Amino acid sequence: MSGRPVSGPASSDRPLTIALPKGRLLDRVVELMHAAGFETGPLAEADRRLVLEEGPLRFLICRAADVPTFVEYGAADVGVAGKDVLWEAGRDVAELVDLGIGLCRLVVAVPQASGVARVQDLDFNSRVATKYPRIARRYFNDQGIQVEIVPLHGNIELAPLVGLADAVVDVTETGRTLRDNGLTVIATVGESTARLIANPVRYKIRSETIDALAAGLERAAKARREGVVMGGPA
Amino acid sequence: MPESLYTRRMIPRGLKDFLPKDAARKRAVENALATTFARWGYAEVITPTVEFFECLALGDGPELVEKMYRLFDREGHQLALRPEVTTPIGRIVATRLKDEPMPQRLYYLANVFRYEEPQAGRQREFWQAGVELVGATGPAADAEVIALAVTALAAAGLKDFRLDIGQVGYGNGLMEGVALSADDRRAIRKALLRRDYVALEEILERTGLPQDKRRLLRELPRLRGREEAIVRALELADNPTSRQAAENLGELYAALAAHGVADRVYIDFGMIKDLDYYTGMVLEGYVPDLGFPVCTGGRYDNLIARFGYECPATGFVVGVERLMMALEGQGALPGSEPAPRWLVGSDHAGRPRALSAARHMRERGWTVEVDVLERPLDALLEYARARGVPYLAYYDGDARLQVFAAPGYTALDAAGMAGLGDVAELFGGDAP
Repeated sequence: MSGRPVSGPASSDRPLTIALPKGRLLDRVVELMHAAGFETGPLAEADRRLVLEEGPLRFLICRAADVPTFVEYGAADVGVAGKDVLWEAGRDVAELVDLGIGLCRLVVAVPQASGVARVQDLDFNSRVATKYPRIARRYFNDQGIQVEIVPLHGNIELAPLVGLADAVVDVTETGRTLRDNGLTVIATVGESTARLIANPVRYKIRSETIDALAAGLERAAKARREGVVMGGPA
Repeated sequence: MPESLYTRRMIPRGLKDFLPKDAARKRAVENALATTFARWGYAEVITPTVEFFECLALGDGPELVEKMYRLFDREGHQLALRPEVTTPIGRIVATRLKDEPMPQRLYYLANVFRYEEPQAGRQREFWQAGVELVGATGPAADAEVIALAVTALAAAGLKDFRLDIGQVGYGNGLMEGVALSADDRRAIRKALLRRDYVALEEILERTGLPQDKRRLLRELPRLRGREEAIVRALELADNPTSRQAAENLGELYAALAAHGVADRVYIDFGMIKDLDYYTGMVLEGYVPDLGFPVCTGGRYDNLIARFGYECPATGFVVGVERLMMALEGQGALPGSEPAPRWLVGSDHAGRPRALSAARHMRERGWTVEVDVLERPLDALLEYARARGVPYLAYYDGDARLQVFAAPGYTALDAAGMAGLGDVAELFGGDAP
């Protein structure tokens, strides 16, 4: 039984699998990948496929909130996820690069007409609707405020309009959607940008490939922040 | 579904049944590991499933303490289900085994319990197979444990895997003598532990450490590879603790070459594990297709002292279910045969002969199932086919023996019977 030969080191030749969030952020990621000199093939085009292969890369298109799950289980080697999603998911993934894209704020907002000006005005009778129940619970705990969290999956702004909730914890880029629905921001929970994440084990087994991707994206993100236009691979 | 019906027929989340096929596979994997451990001179120990909470909490960090299943006994003592076995072994080494000649080599196969969110590779009850080499310091002891881990995983049938080893002293040394608050130090460790390099960068920016120190901490996660990683680590070490740690890993790596397992082992100075527990070498085992480690371990020289007896120790533990998942992924899960090789049946009159033949066959090491329902031949043939039992022996009232064999289950003729071997010997004197 123990006479089995010990073969060479563990290796992997299959393409690197990258989980990407569908929606707005996807275009930003594609731009950044191009700027870093990586081919993304048909990713930028309006394509309905969920798995796309381009040379040494394989792309999975999934819901933003699911990216950490794909990566933690190793279904994808790496992925791009917002810090808000990572906070909420609390998954065991390595966080490699702040890509600087998808900048948004997680805020507490209330109806303008409610007269609530500070989070301290909310109490245990208050209901807070959110897509981020974990973050919201932790935030209000840290503030020493007891509220009832109402988890929803989308269109959070609707909840206060119909009396389902007194406040929302939601993500906003410009605040426009909140304003359009008569909501006003009373506190910021945190700021979020997109991160390159990796499965901790794959990050070790495929460290060279993943480090190269991380370094390329880091350079592109830095250049983007500094307003430099990058051409081709560095 | 009403609560009572639900709880009567289901089991709690995060727990599972092993049905015969999986139970046989688990047993085969555990046997391969245990046989290897024993061959290296390790002796099995069995500790209780339930211990005093305070005892278990002495060894386990706050994260594991939080995950313990806790209960009270009738005297009001707080008890807990063991979340791992190293702490109980530390307890017995410090109490009942401390006068035995050192070093001692111990192994265990045990179920452990952790109350956490169940997901792939993480259940609330799972099985561990591990070894502890206690009473020995130095790279030779650590090398033995690493070499044993490689050998045991290979013996279980794992083909594509690797071990990464690190040395917690290296990272600790980098942070020694640095002007950092306790909070920042903890935050840096946590960022390294969670491999959150974005947070690490933020903290390094914020704390205003000297540039060269920042560069070092930034490079730490990438200090990995083979010998060249050790060379690089020695170049970069700016303090005695880190230098010693790198030298220790260098000696260790050389010893692994002598053990013939160096090609399986990679160096990773950035491997940060629970620092309250590990004091030197740390290890993790990986399989390409699995997103989490199959084994983990390291040197823990301070644990046993918490039970009042100073004693260095090193060891590792394999997650049995994780190893089974890895083996399955590599098509290497040991085949199992829960179905008996023979089914022996008879009518009422033939029963004594059938039982006598079955007894004889079992004594010779055959696996035999006896029909207890006195079913007629056609029903038995159908049952044998459904259960996948390859041979059926049937005695009728005249004590005549007929043998049927898969896949067609046609009666064997004289030539077919001869193909089974010495038929008279097989059935204890009976022949068709």
